[in-house]
Amino acid sequence: MVAQQFEPAGSYAGVIDEDVTSERRNAWIKFQDRIFVPLTIVPTIVASLLVFGIPLAFSLLLSFQGWTIDSGLFAGRFVGFANYQDLFTDPLFRSSLALTIGYTIATVTSELLLGLGIALLLNSRVPFVRIFRTALIIPMMITPIVAALTWKLLLDPSYGLVNAILGTRTVWLGDPDLALIAVGVVNIWQNTPFVAILLLAGLQSLPAEPVEAAAVDGANSWQTFRHVTLPLLMPYVVVAVLLRTIFEFRSFENIWVMTGGGPANATKLLSVYTFEASFLSFDLTLAAASSWVMLFIVLIFCVFFILATKRKEIQ
Amino acid sequence: MSGFARGRRRKFIRYVLTYAGLISLFLVFVFPLLWIVGISLKTREQIFTNPPVFFWMPTFENYAQVLTQSDFLASFSNSLVVTTASVTLSLLIGIPASYTFARFRFPGQGVAMITLLIMRMLPPVAILLPLFVLFKAVGLSNTRLSVIIAYTTFSLPLIVWVMKDYFANLPKELEEAAYIDGASRMLAFRKIVLPLARPGIVTAAILSLLLAWNDFIFAAILTNNATRTSPVLLASYAGGETGTNWGAITASGVLVVIPVIIFSLIVQKHLVQGLSSGTVK
Repeated sequence: MVAQQFEPAGSYAGVIDEDVTSERRNAWIKFQDRIFVPLTIVPTIVASLLVFGIPLAFSLLLSFQGWTIDSGLFAGRFVGFANYQDLFTDPLFRSSLALTIGYTIATVTSELLLGLGIALLLNSRVPFVRIFRTALIIPMMITPIVAALTWKLLLDPSYGLVNAILGTRTVWLGDPDLALIAVGVVNIWQNTPFVAILLLAGLQSLPAEPVEAAAVDGANSWQTFRHVTLPLLMPYVVVAVLLRTIFEFRSFENIWVMTGGGPANATKLLSVYTFEASFLSFDLTLAAASSWVMLFIVLIFCVFFILATKRKEIQ
Repeated sequence: MSGFARGRRRKFIRYVLTYAGLISLFLVFVFPLLWIVGISLKTREQIFTNPPVFFWMPTFENYAQVLTQSDFLASFSNSLVVTTASVTLSLLIGIPASYTFARFRFPGQGVAMITLLIMRMLPPVAILLPLFVLFKAVGLSNTRLSVIIAYTTFSLPLIVWVMKDYFANLPKELEEAAYIDGASRMLAFRKIVLPLARPGIVTAAILSLLLAWNDFIFAAILTNNATRTSPVLLASYAGGETGTNWGAITASGVLVVIPVIIFSLIVQKHLVQGLSSGTVK
């Protein structure tokens, strides 16, 4: 986070000589200037409160209540932690929490390792490397639903390209042992480029002297990378890992399109669990509790993220 | 002499390995998409041939079919309307706010910036249910306006964070000169700051455009068959089995993704900064 605080500009800070300007400025302009800050800020605050603040407060309330969609907005009664108790005694929720943790760790680790390798590759000075750098942006930006559809067709048991290349007839998305890996691969495919490009930006911003000094001291390239480049790159790695953790944790589109949470709940991550509780089984209080478990976990990672970016400003 | 030759050989091997790596990158990350484009240009018989056909005479029959299909056209135009409206609104709201965040100090500023950052991180699925209930309560369910409101708000953190750095880096002498000449803040902002900030605004606009165009989960819940956007229609093709109409599915997917690719390439330099909420330059 770049906390670049500027001194207030203009008469706001008394920079301008009031005697010179006050004659020229009429009351209307003065009034406009006085309301400029609130006028520019208030719409953002109002929109955030309406679309984030109120819904979040409402679902927090809901998570402690007995409530159905037919009752009035605030007609529920307080039930304490009963919804959370229901949630944590639901074997499906517990398995989806465990699946989500495993899935997030596996995808983020793969994205980091592959991304680091790709960043180093893209950092080499060979002709035409820019073309590959640009091409890598495409999977990372395309509509997630289209990425999921793409892989659903590629992994088709009978006519998919993957089986044609491997010469197998594997039912990738119908096998509980393979399905989670398959949906994970789609997200790794889509998001490794982001990690790679972020780390590449990091590599290119590193000072050259430490690497040169290591070479003078006779370090080989692995030693240089391990003891010089990697420590310098660490702030970027931390940002990449935290951002990817926050975003993999919410994975939804790839699963919804490719498996719908199946087979046999093998890909039912927290997001799918919450979605189904909200909009398929309409167990709203349970969904609110599950939403807040997700929000709570993400908030913890947000705190890490804010601390990490505040401590070491990345430029 | 031999040392020189050895050096050249090593350099040659390094080149070969680097290009082998780069080409495998291309095969893994881009070829799958080219294959899908390929399917969209095949006839049904060619699609369901085993082993797959690698060379064929491209046909545009799938595109002709999709572009005369009323549900594809309806969802595409819904996507256009929703995206245009939410980008416009979020720029109108977000850019002045981000200028104020960059240039002024006011109470609660730090908290507001951090709150905006956290808003960007929260999983949409966890906010969807109460949002749905509230939109229903005010009679906005199944309207395009409801998704426009949602996308506008979700774009605000992105715009504020990207533009704040941009505004902070603009020289403030020009604005100060304008104040001395008697201009109001609003006038100086409109006539001096905004024209200077145009490249930043383009980046912010495209990032918020991609957010609205690519979203599935909000539109899936907040719209119905008449107001759904393209990703919702595409996802309905994949429900359960993909059936046999792969030509239409892939052609629709390609048509939806083309604008994304064009706009992403325009802002490619700023993508990482935007996607990491301005934490990395």
